[in-house]
Amino acid sequence: METRQQGSTLFSAILVLIATLVVLQLWLLAAALDGLLGRQTGVLVPAAIASTALFAMNAGLLWYVVSFDERLRQWGPRG
Amino acid sequence: MVDRPKWREDFPVRWDDDHYMTRRELARFLTLGSALLAAVNALIAAVGLTRQSPTAPSRRIARMDDVPAGGSLLFSFPTDEDPCILVRNSAGGIAAFSQVCTHLSCAVVHRPEEQALLCPCHKGAFSAVDGRPLAGPPTRRLPRVTIERRGSDLIATGIEV
Repeated sequence: METRQQGSTLFSAILVLIATLVVLQLWLLAAALDGLLGRQTGVLVPAAIASTALFAMNAGLLWYVVSFDERLRQWGPRG
Repeated sequence: MVDRPKWREDFPVRWDDDHYMTRRELARFLTLGSALLAAVNALIAAVGLTRQSPTAPSRRIARMDDVPAGGSLLFSFPTDEDPCILVRNSAGGIAAFSQVCTHLSCAVVHRPEEQALLCPCHKGAFSAVDGRPLAGPPTRRLPRVTIERRGSDLIATGIEV
């Protein structure tokens, strides 16, 4: 059952997950810059694809958690 | 009712009046940052794929006699802003490398007794034979300058990264 308490926990967990994925993207950016400056172009496209995939995951998580929150507000607290 | 100045809204005296960022705003902010990071990564990939590797005409850098056995010579290739080092080992073999350390871009110096190129900034060392990293923080080899011998002249013809 979706309760406000569950929603709060879920929101915190997803927030931590989003932050972790952003840190991974930062690491990918550093690796891509290193590859660019070292003329190792083989890593650039995989890094860009991985970063885009991580952004898609972040956007999906945000959409899920916001829609969950709205659903919860619509129904009101149940416990 | 007296209008409060904007700065009072941003920096209220009472803690209760302060505006805190909600978790939802933080999640949106992080996702926006994530989009920005993905865009920058795509831009880096585009720049890396479209950038041409520098090509330069061959350049005469020295005469063979200019470099004694076990000695070294500094030169620039392919442009005047790209410092390189030519190394001649005790057996007479010639090798040339970029002088820019692959760790943090300090200039490497020749250590003939160790057959190495040493980076004084962080004690990195590269082989003076093939440029591979031997010690310290560097993990990538030094770019090698291909040298051609024409008579007694040494000609730089290209760079192998």
